[in-house]
Amino acid sequence: MGAMAHWLHMSTGRGRRLAAYAAGDLAGPQRARAEAAVSGCPGCRREIEAHRRVAQTLRATPRVTLTDAEAGAFWSGVERRIETRERPHRIPARPALREMLWDHPRLSLASAAAAAVLVVGITLTQMGGWLSSSNGFPNGVEVVSVEGGSDAPVMLFQMPGSSLKVIWVFEEPTAE
Amino acid sequence: MRKYRIDHDLERLRNQRRGGIEPAREHPESQDDRALVEQAKQGDREAFATLVRRHQDRAFNLAYQMLRNREDALDVAQEAFARAFTSLPTFKGDASFGTWLHRIVVNLAIDSLRRRRRGGEASYDDSRGIAEEPEADLPANEDPAAALEAKQTRALLARGIARLPPAQRAVLILREIEGMSYEEIARAVGCNLGTVMSRLFYARRRLQQSLKPHLADLR
Repeated sequence: MGAMAHWLHMSTGRGRRLAAYAAGDLAGPQRARAEAAVSGCPGCRREIEAHRRVAQTLRATPRVTLTDAEAGAFWSGVERRIETRERPHRIPARPALREMLWDHPRLSLASAAAAAVLVVGITLTQMGGWLSSSNGFPNGVEVVSVEGGSDAPVMLFQMPGSSLKVIWVFEEPTAE
Repeated sequence: MRKYRIDHDLERLRNQRRGGIEPAREHPESQDDRALVEQAKQGDREAFATLVRRHQDRAFNLAYQMLRNREDALDVAQEAFARAFTSLPTFKGDASFGTWLHRIVVNLAIDSLRRRRRGGEASYDDSRGIAEEPEADLPANEDPAAALEAKQTRALLARGIARLPPAQRAVLILREIEGMSYEEIARAVGCNLGTVMSRLFYARRRLQQSLKPHLADLR
């Protein structure tokens, strides 16, 4: 049998059967058919011999066993895994904000900086409003009237666009 | 139990008459296994512990041959038993407990190999497992040179196996090292006989190619 025929022989389903035959996996008529096919193909015989050696070497591979210590602790390891599976599945708790900040120093620094910027911003806005008003009161507050003498000054304030009016009465503390 | 034995014998006879691939072998303990499985299904933890002790070495060896690492093999073998216990209600007993367990071990080992591969570990042709190759006991009358040659061949084979794709590796190990029949392998891997034959063919061929220079020198 030529090289091409041999290649075809070993690359088809028939070739797979020959490999199975080489490994001693076939019995009865299938084995007889494989033997007949091989008898006229020296290339196949060589390949089968190589397959057979690989199979023999593989079968001689020593088994790996557990050490005494591993064998002794094996069941307890399995039991632990079984118990873990049987335990009701709990959704892991979300980490507390404090823990998150503690675990992520960059996040805590950024939060502190943002808070500081917010406080400073609000303060400046407030101060800016007070400072920018012409009457010494916060922006938008109108002094409607100032009544009374120096003893009991009464001031009437009103926010623009609001009907609410605020009356302030300043009283001098009476001397005991 | 008795009916099962008769059915099994009939199947064996039919197979022999057909002259096909060698018939499946029944483990002598599998009858006992069935009783233990039934007890374990009722929640008998001690019965399951007996099954574990009975099969732990075989499961570990299979996992080791697949992964070539003791720690990983121990992890896979224990996980396989834990999964088997929780899946017992779905075990119908079509195959033996051992075959069913082998299927779980093989699947877990294949998953582990794929994770290693994704994780960038060079497990496919690494040699870290080869270093763990166990020493076979040297028979008193064995020639030291022959023993050394056998050891070198085993190391080469182990490297060759480590380069096989996980599915081919599983089939080859089940057949050549575990000595399972084609039917048992088909059940253990969850594929048909043709696929078993095909995977075995390619696995053997690859191994043979990787061992070619060495095989030529072998007697």
